Amino acid sequence: MTIAPAAVSAAAWVLVSLLLFLAGFCLLHRNLWRACQGFVAFALLMSLAWLVLGSPWLALAEALLGALLTGGTLLWTLRGRGALPRLAPVDETPRRARLSAPLRWLLILSWLGLSGVALVMLLGLDALSPPTSTSTLLTATGVLIMGLGLWAFSAQRHLLRRLLAFNLLGSGVFLLLAGVAAPVPVSMIAHLEPAPIAEVRALIFIGLVVALLGSVLGAALLLQLHAQAGQVTLTPMAPRHPGR
Amino acid sequence: MSPTPLHLLWLLFAPLALGLLAWVRPPRHSGLVLFVAMPLPLVALWLLLGLDDGPMAGQLALGPLTLHWRLDGLAALLWLLTQLLLLASALYAAGYVRTTTLGQRAYAWLWPLMGGLALGLGLIWIAADLLLLYAGLELMGLCAVGMMLLPGNAEALTAGLRYLLFALVGSLTWLLGIALLLGAWGRLDLAGMAGLASVAQPDPVTQIAVALLASGLLLKGAIFPLHSWLAPVHGSAWTPVSAIHGALVVKASFFILLLLWRALLPEAIAGAWALGLLGSLAVLWGGIQAWRAVGLKQLVAWSTVGQLGYLMLAFPLLAGTSAAVALMAWQATWLQLAGHALAKAAMFMAAGNLLLSTGAHRLEGLTGTSRRLPLSLMTFGLAAVTLMGLPPSAGFTAKWLWLQASLASGQWLWVVVLALGSLLSAIYVFRVLRCSFVEDAPEQAFRSLPLGMELIALVLALAAIGLGLAAGWPLSFLAPVGVP
Amino acid sequence: MTELSLAPFPLLRLPLAPLLFAALLWPLLLGLRAALGATIGLGQLRPHLSRSLNKPLNQPLSQPLSHPSSQSLHRPLDWLWISAPLPALALAVLGPDGSLWLEAWLLGGSWELDDQRRLLLAFSALLWGLAGCYARGYFAAEQAQAAAGDTDSRARLLRFALFWPLTLCGNLLLLVAEDIASFYLGFALMTFSAYPLVIHSGSREARTGGLAYLVMAVLGEGMILAGLLWGAGTGSALTLSELRATLATADMGLWMGLLLWLGFGVKAGVIGLHLWLPLAHPVAPTPASAVLSGVMIKAGLVGWLSTLPLGMAGVDEAFHWLGLAMLTAGLIGAFAAALWGVAQHNPKAVLAYSSVSQMGMIAALIALGLLQPDSWPALSVLVLFFAAHHGLSKGALFLGVGISEQSPRLPAWLLWTLLILPALSLAGALGSGLIAKWGTKKALDAAGEETLAVWLSLAAVGTTLLMARALWRQWRQWPRKRHMPGSSQTSQKHHTSPRLPSQHAPTAANDRRLLAPMPLAWLISVLAALSLPLWFSLLAGGIEGVLSGQLADRFAWPPLSALPALLWPLGLGVLLSVVFGWSLHRVAVRLSHWLPAGDLWWPLAFCGRWLWHLVRRMLRRLAALQSGWIAWWVARERDGLTGLDTLTRAEGWLRRQLALLLLAVALGLAAVLLLADVDHDIQRWRQTHGDAHH
Repeated sequence: MTIAPAAVSAAAWVLVSLLLFLAGFCLLHRNLWRACQGFVAFALLMSLAWLVLGSPWLALAEALLGALLTGGTLLWTLRGRGALPRLAPVDETPRRARLSAPLRWLLILSWLGLSGVALVMLLGLDALSPPTSTSTLLTATGVLIMGLGLWAFSAQRHLLRRLLAFNLLGSGVFLLLAGVAAPVPVSMIAHLEPAPIAEVRALIFIGLVVALLGSVLGAALLLQLHAQAGQVTLTPMAPRHPGR
Repeated sequence: MSPTPLHLLWLLFAPLALGLLAWVRPPRHSGLVLFVAMPLPLVALWLLLGLDDGPMAGQLALGPLTLHWRLDGLAALLWLLTQLLLLASALYAAGYVRTTTLGQRAYAWLWPLMGGLALGLGLIWIAADLLLLYAGLELMGLCAVGMMLLPGNAEALTAGLRYLLFALVGSLTWLLGIALLLGAWGRLDLAGMAGLASVAQPDPVTQIAVALLASGLLLKGAIFPLHSWLAPVHGSAWTPVSAIHGALVVKASFFILLLLWRALLPEAIAGAWALGLLGSLAVLWGGIQAWRAVGLKQLVAWSTVGQLGYLMLAFPLLAGTSAAVALMAWQATWLQLAGHALAKAAMFMAAGNLLLSTGAHRLEGLTGTSRRLPLSLMTFGLAAVTLMGLPPSAGFTAKWLWLQASLASGQWLWVVVLALGSLLSAIYVFRVLRCSFVEDAPEQAFRSLPLGMELIALVLALAAIGLGLAAGWPLSFLAPVGVP
Repeated sequence: MTELSLAPFPLLRLPLAPLLFAALLWPLLLGLRAALGATIGLGQLRPHLSRSLNKPLNQPLSQPLSHPSSQSLHRPLDWLWISAPLPALALAVLGPDGSLWLEAWLLGGSWELDDQRRLLLAFSALLWGLAGCYARGYFAAEQAQAAAGDTDSRARLLRFALFWPLTLCGNLLLLVAEDIASFYLGFALMTFSAYPLVIHSGSREARTGGLAYLVMAVLGEGMILAGLLWGAGTGSALTLSELRATLATADMGLWMGLLLWLGFGVKAGVIGLHLWLPLAHPVAPTPASAVLSGVMIKAGLVGWLSTLPLGMAGVDEAFHWLGLAMLTAGLIGAFAAALWGVAQHNPKAVLAYSSVSQMGMIAALIALGLLQPDSWPALSVLVLFFAAHHGLSKGALFLGVGISEQSPRLPAWLLWTLLILPALSLAGALGSGLIAKWGTKKALDAAGEETLAVWLSLAAVGTTLLMARALWRQWRQWPRKRHMPGSSQTSQKHHTSPRLPSQHAPTAANDRRLLAPMPLAWLISVLAALSLPLWFSLLAGGIEGVLSGQLADRFAWPPLSALPALLWPLGLGVLLSVVFGWSLHRVAVRLSHWLPAGDLWWPLAFCGRWLWHLVRRMLRRLAALQSGWIAWWVARERDGLTGLDTLTRAEGWLRRQLALLLLAVALGLAAVLLLADVDHDIQRWRQTHGDAHH
């Protein structure tokens, strides 16, 4: 069931590339319905990743909380049958001004660079060479997903998309957390005790719960806001008439 | 009988239980609330007084998980303050629901959220490892967002959504910081990390981690460039919720930040100065915005931004300064925190009373209140005394200590900040008072309020002033400066 | 301070303290009575008020109650009122030498009576009494009007009746005071109480005169107070003699002396400070003019005598210069006032200038007390005599002005002889004048100041001219048709404002009797002035002094051989008068227009008005500037607030870019922490490197 962590198998590469692809898919696809479906798939893959990292309970929690509940909530926001009017499935909100795009990219890349530097210092210089273990690979993927999430969160306006972005950002952070606390870390500071795996899993679990609650709350609020003010963004704007 | 961990557990979960009870049957009478919830602050006081023989600390093992907790004088004081303010807010809410038309379901939801908030805050005060801190902070944050969203109108929804999104992202940032810390130190308990940090040189990973978690906490604590979610949220929130939020919720983030900073980077002077500068900017920016604010509640919210900025002065005054300076700054910080909590709750309640009675939301609508609502206006003024830092309030004592600390350590910049901040507070407070004393406005219909609502606010404002007069008692419980 | 401490007057002596108190309190009581009358009068002027006050009283009861008071109310200048200076006269004649120490009074009062004070008291009280008596006749018509129900006249008379005794009281207090506080109190009381007397008639000229009087009085009081406080503070002196001693030796004594000289000089009419004299005298009621010119001017002289270190040995050298200044100012005053006065139209203005001229002469004599201290004992008696002579003669002349305007039933030759006699005396040709002149000449010769004597003789020519001019103007104004009803004294009272029509009824015929108050007072004053040498010696040295001849050579009649030397100024003066009068009678009117009474006052007043306009214009400009300034600030405030509001709009940007800001803050903090650490490392490396190097 578990794959040996010492060698990076092709399956891990496939997993990682699928994760990245799905993350990009749900952040960029104009059709939100598809994007949410993509998120469900992403959560399921995340669950697989936890399994790969040796945390079946986390995998279960991810499948249950992430894929089923969060994904379900988001999908329900678009297609559910309630008293409130549903959201339009197509995201027509404009992106943020191009003027700030370079700044945004600079900041995000610096952020990634900073995280990367910290990770390299934690995991050792080996991490720079082609990844030697699945956990290292997944950690690097986590950083990339985090970057994607950050970009989408700061660049997109649609609140559902931002919720998605937040969830992806969270997944990236969780992956990074799990990678840092991997069974055999090569830390700069030689600490005698083994890494507190149980606490790390508790952290991730709490994070999953918070993400779920936040998504549910956000989705409910979004529906309310849409029903009351007809807007799906934070700042009221007329997305269909950008010329005005 | 001396306090045991079971008492702590009881004090943590009793508010939540009461909140759930009230969810089923929402209380409508302040007397009932007082009767049921009165034991909570009393137990907190008993805990505080029971700490004579040093702080309590311990571990709780849940299977493979080990949770660390600790109750020292500071934590007990803050817990007592929390319970008092929550009680006051609950009492106010019971009167508030009778005076205004609130949604029944929304009102019922207020109570479990308040219980959850109490639990989250309690966890934060007594947590001694990052896991508990994280759990407490997230619980508190979600409950706070939930409470803020209770009014349910579009304005509140937008503001609340923004608050929700950024609170979530902020907690992810802080989780990222925790992850890096975990990688660097391999442990989550604060005492252990502090012990290691005191002997080792700070390594870059720790610094990056602290920068990340600090930015997350700054966002949650509404410190200057990351404060902009605060004022809109307060604009439409219920008065008792605003009172708790302005008084306690934002301060919890500051508490965690100071705790971690003192534990991990006690000697990082440049970083401390950067935080101090952010705080100074917050003081000025909050003051200016409050000066130009249109609505009364926005004004009070902006004043919160400014007053939180003062707290950030603790960082530069504690980092690398002499023991005497650090002691003064340490005491000033907690005194300001407590004094501002009381005064801000009182001010929100007084402002809520004024708005409720006049039915206006803008400052111009306050005309004539000097005659019709003298008690609420007086409460507002008394609370403002603390905010402006006039003697004999707690705000004055705190600022005086800061001033002395700044002069003693030669950090003149903070003197200027303190002076400008007080000036700005005076300006915006007198703007409110000037509007209230205008008499030539057309006669409005004033709604009469229950006396209890005005009295609660008055008691809190007087407590803030009394805290300045009797500052020695709470300060005697504070441990000397240092890592907790 | 004088040499006159001879044997006491042999007549009956009364205890000093009761006399002193009576002399000072009696005028006060009379003033109080007038004030009470005024208050009652207020009630009576408003019958409804008095009724409401006396509600329990029945109307028939209150009517007879108010009747007698109304009698004294409408005729406030009764015989009791005239008796105000009588206790002072009694004090001068019957009081023994001595001093009275009053522990509780101010800073400790010390009132004294010695020969100098006795003389001054005597002639002052005499003149006050005569002027008071004269006033009763002078205001007879006004009293009649007041009795007839004219409230204006009644108010004026009550005011006069109140302030006349107050002025008298102040004058007496300054004469008997030895402590500085009492002296200044008396001086100030006299100065400021005299103001209502000056403006009595309320006409425009009276107000101008009053203004001049008040301005100069305040100026003088300020300098006096400054000098007194300075001197008293420096030497911690409480009495006048201590003050003199202080001034003589103190470092800044000259400046204190200068302040005091100028301050008292305002009262004594030192040239330049005399402006109030020719303005206030003509407009004041004639009795008030008489005391102003006869007695109150002498208060300045008394001030000099009391405060300046005259005739003292060991005086600071600098006082020599003060003496020179006094001498010069006195002589200039003596001549300039004579020249200006000759051109005057109003006889009272001429007489006022004559006062300035005479006081200039006296000031020149006093200056010798500083220049030649050794000759001062002889001169001081002379100065006192001169002062008394001038006071009484000038009083008689002033009173005579009223008499010539409204003459009693006397033959014209007798009337004019009596009018001319004091003028001749003042010119130094007769009676006290001749003796004073002879004494002066002798004293100056003895002191070796023959030049000064010549100058004074030349000044006497001026005096003669002035006298001739005054008499000429009186002659011209003398109502020939004495029996005509138009010649009412009220019209003469308003003579200074001839444009005012006479509103008052003609005087009753019985006021023209020789024994009516006015002529009686005048006659007595003339007699007193002429007989001064007789009783002056009596008072000053006592009978023993007269008999022993100690004073004889001082106040003796000049031998016939000296007469030409003494009388040539008179002759010259008369000659010049005739020549000028004949040659200039056409331009005289225009001349008096060109050279108005008050001389320097008018340009000064013009300058003052101009300055006031200038200041007003500057103030207006300042106000405009200020309002502009305020407007500028208000605009800046508005700009500032707009700027602030623009700034607050930046908040929207902060809110929109919250996510990026979060990233930026995290990166910034990390950068700060890392870079500071790097810096720290470098420093540590340098330190270890440096250590290794060493």
